[in-house]
Amino acid sequence: MRGNLLYLDKESSLHQLHPLSKLAFTFFFLICAAALPGLDWLLAAYFFLLLPLAGWGQVTAPFLRSSWAVITPFVISLSLIQGFFTGGETVLFSLGRFAFTFEGWLAGLTVAARILVALGGALLLTLTTRPDALMQALTQRGLPNSLAYIVLSSIQIFPRFQDRAQLILQAQQARGLETGGNLVRRLKLLVPLSGPLILSSIVDVEERAMALEARGFSRPGRKTSLLVLRDSQAQRLLRFVLLLLGLGLITLRVWTLFQ
Amino acid sequence: MNNFRKEFTTYSIALIAVAIAINIGGGQIPRLVGLPLYLDSIGTVLVGVLVGPWAGALTGFLSNVIWTLTGLYPQAIAWAGVAAIIGALAGIFGQAGWFQQWWKAAVGGLITGVVAAILSAPIAAYVFGGVTGSAGTDAVVAAFRASGLDALFSNVAQGTMSDPLDKMITFLVVWAVLLALPQRLKARSRGE
Repeated sequence: MRGNLLYLDKESSLHQLHPLSKLAFTFFFLICAAALPGLDWLLAAYFFLLLPLAGWGQVTAPFLRSSWAVITPFVISLSLIQGFFTGGETVLFSLGRFAFTFEGWLAGLTVAARILVALGGALLLTLTTRPDALMQALTQRGLPNSLAYIVLSSIQIFPRFQDRAQLILQAQQARGLETGGNLVRRLKLLVPLSGPLILSSIVDVEERAMALEARGFSRPGRKTSLLVLRDSQAQRLLRFVLLLLGLGLITLRVWTLFQ
Repeated sequence: MNNFRKEFTTYSIALIAVAIAINIGGGQIPRLVGLPLYLDSIGTVLVGVLVGPWAGALTGFLSNVIWTLTGLYPQAIAWAGVAAIIGALAGIFGQAGWFQQWWKAAVGGLITGVVAAILSAPIAAYVFGGVTGSAGTDAVVAAFRASGLDALFSNVAQGTMSDPLDKMITFLVVWAVLLALPQRLKARSRGE
């Protein structure tokens, strides 16, 4: 796996957990993001649960960096749109006929915090889990091998495609293709750029299919794997507890909604 | 269910993996030439037409899963269902022969774009509080909110401004690629 993934190779105990245990954490935080009642609870979940877990996995810095990069535009957009258009009593300032209210701003920040918690749960998994380990854990639980192959091989080939798109642009420019210009000119550029990219890759497909067949890809039955996943009784218990906590949160949320 | 089985051969599985990479690589092209488009579903539409609706749907769905897994666009997974429907629609239009004439492909793209816009809007409105986290589209949403539309309809309006055009161009690109594709490869993807 090349450096195009979020995954960081560390020796932490979080890295060594079974992929399904980390997936259970991710789902638990997704439930938290949807079911926790307000901004204070959501921020507490991020700072007192997610951040320590990231620290345990020795990925605090990239965890914070990725959270920041994704959440900042959401905080700005949500603050502005909800602040101006949700409505409320406390007007902080006005622009023409539009009033920016505290209640709207708070509502916007709450949505941003929900996104932050869900994102944190996903980052925890992707930063500390090799995709092949995750896919293997899922195939052991009944995910078809072909799906695991599609996910893993496309993760491996897409950085080459990003390079290839750049290369095709340079090659066409070297042949005198003019980039820039008005909108119609730029639309016409799509054909000499996307054409070679797609056609060259479809020619690759046949070779890949033959290589797969030569290795007995469509052969039925169990397949052995080089990668050995470790699970333990304690982790099974952990997953069960996370499941119960998640269900509890959902029940609590539904119950308060009907109160 | 029979169609479903028929669509998943070793060849089509290898094609889906490459198509996902095409989606991601194709998403670069508008940036390279400076066009305000996404073009991130060329591979999805291609698989839909070459193989069938089920394979197209799977390509769309897994593309968004991979966008999330790789951290390129972590929120993509929320739209995985919409991406799957884009692939399925491309497959249905392909089976109906709409990719044999350019204008039919363009109409198919427009319809797909409208469907995508309508399905994406509730996700943006209810999951993400009515924004997408990208400055351009959020400014458009803000303009619609300012004109008095509610969160859901502002997002539908924003989507119908960008999605139909984007999907129409995607469908036309795929139509052009199909013209250039050797007959042998087209037959191979249909499992012949």
